[in-house]
Amino acid sequence: MSLFPRKKLTPHLQQLAQIPLFSTLSHAGLIVVEGLLHEREYVAGEVVFDEGEEAQALYIVLSGRVLISKQTSSGLQRIAELGPGQFFGDMALLDNSPRSAQARAAENCVLAAFFREDFIGLLETHAAIASKLSLQLARHLGNRLREALQARPFE
Amino acid sequence: MQFVSRPSSSGPLVWASIFAATCLLLFAFQKILWLVVPFLLACVIYYALYPLAQRLMLAGVSQEQAAAWVAGSFTLVLAGLLVLFSPWLTTKGVMLQELVDHYLDGGQEFLERTLSNIESTMPFFSNAHLSDKVHASLTSFTDNFAQAYLFPFLMTAASWLPSLLLAPLLSFFMLRDGQKFKRFLLQAVPNAFFERTLHLVHEVNQTAKAYFHGMMVLTVLDALTLGIGLWLLGMTSPLALGIITAVLAWVPFVGSVVGCILVVLVAATDFPTQPGMAYGAIGLFIVARMLDDFLYMPMTVGRKLKMHPLTTVLLIFIGGAIAGITGLMLVLPLAGIVMVFGQTIGGAMTDMRLRARHIHAVKLRRDIANRDL
Repeated sequence: MSLFPRKKLTPHLQQLAQIPLFSTLSHAGLIVVEGLLHEREYVAGEVVFDEGEEAQALYIVLSGRVLISKQTSSGLQRIAELGPGQFFGDMALLDNSPRSAQARAAENCVLAAFFREDFIGLLETHAAIASKLSLQLARHLGNRLREALQARPFE
Repeated sequence: MQFVSRPSSSGPLVWASIFAATCLLLFAFQKILWLVVPFLLACVIYYALYPLAQRLMLAGVSQEQAAAWVAGSFTLVLAGLLVLFSPWLTTKGVMLQELVDHYLDGGQEFLERTLSNIESTMPFFSNAHLSDKVHASLTSFTDNFAQAYLFPFLMTAASWLPSLLLAPLLSFFMLRDGQKFKRFLLQAVPNAFFERTLHLVHEVNQTAKAYFHGMMVLTVLDALTLGIGLWLLGMTSPLALGIITAVLAWVPFVGSVVGCILVVLVAATDFPTQPGMAYGAIGLFIVARMLDDFLYMPMTVGRKLKMHPLTTVLLIFIGGAIAGITGLMLVLPLAGIVMVFGQTIGGAMTDMRLRARHIHAVKLRRDIANRDL
């Protein structure tokens, strides 16, 4: 039996802990991040953000599915469909660049939005949490880059 | 669908709305000063204490505990200072009328001496009995000063005390629940405008923070300028006088005039045989005021609010005309916040794509609600 028993996570925090972006955070870190997330409900077919729009937040899918698509010369090209635990719009946390694709609710869904300025605020107030998030974000971007390179090898 | 929105700049209609909204709010705030003043004071305390709370949070303390520690320590320090200085304050309070009379007499003598000098050099004023007339009105003013001004002022200050005590409490809740309140407000925003509103709330917070930081820098600059100037003149307690007059300058124009009168009274009373001291103090105040209005204020508060110096000066005049001293004090922070609101809401309302997305979302929700009917 431990002297300091590990606190039990609430169902909501358990859900957050399973998201790769937050998987390395401690119980206290999860509570801090939970306080910064904005839960939003979207109905099937509703646009979350448009391609080219100014990016302010990262979104995490808590339930439902979200379709990511991009306008090409041949029409609207579907890039990915994301489910619970996955996140999108991650570049918003890093820079002010416009959205590179459109996100639309494929079915009724609940998303958690993480505002860029709150993430920057974390760097000043909770450096340990922010560095863990940054590392997870860098890993995620690295994976995406690797996948993109494998999908389109050097000519 | 690709939709590249251009960064839109605010047009004349948005700017006219910003000015109109600022004027209306000033007028309304004048009616609820009992709430506005403690809230403003709470904002000053909040922005002064927030860096300390941030440091505690950085050390691993939760936001609730950090807020409690910082606000609690602040209240304790305030209470400690009050207890420490209460004997001195009580003594001074008892002597207040004597002290005020002493400095008013000094000022009156200085004015009468100056007028006598003018009359001896300009016979026109002597024929008009200028000195006698001014002496009569000044004597009546100083004799009735305590009854007519000092006691009503002290009574007003005492009646304000309970609402001012709200300020530390408000600042504690701002420190503790600021984020929760922000989330609560954002729940009411439709999805299409959510990101814009997130940005708006952040900008409003940044504007208020910038204003109060600007005011603190301005107070330090004013206190240093006046303190150094008074020290060069050879006045007694130059730094204390500099600080008091810098704090009085929070009320643009009127506060500075009151500060100037205060220093001239001190100079005329403490150095009755050296009228040059009082003239020097007046000259110093004119220089300090010009520096303050045309350099320090536009460079600190105006710049922090990203407002053109001309707009800053214009707004100060408008604020004074609408709501007097209250208007002078409130116009800049209010205009800064209204400006952020106006520009963001103007941008969102004129963004056809955002409006179309909102209408589409409403239709989708209505379809779901009507499905089984």
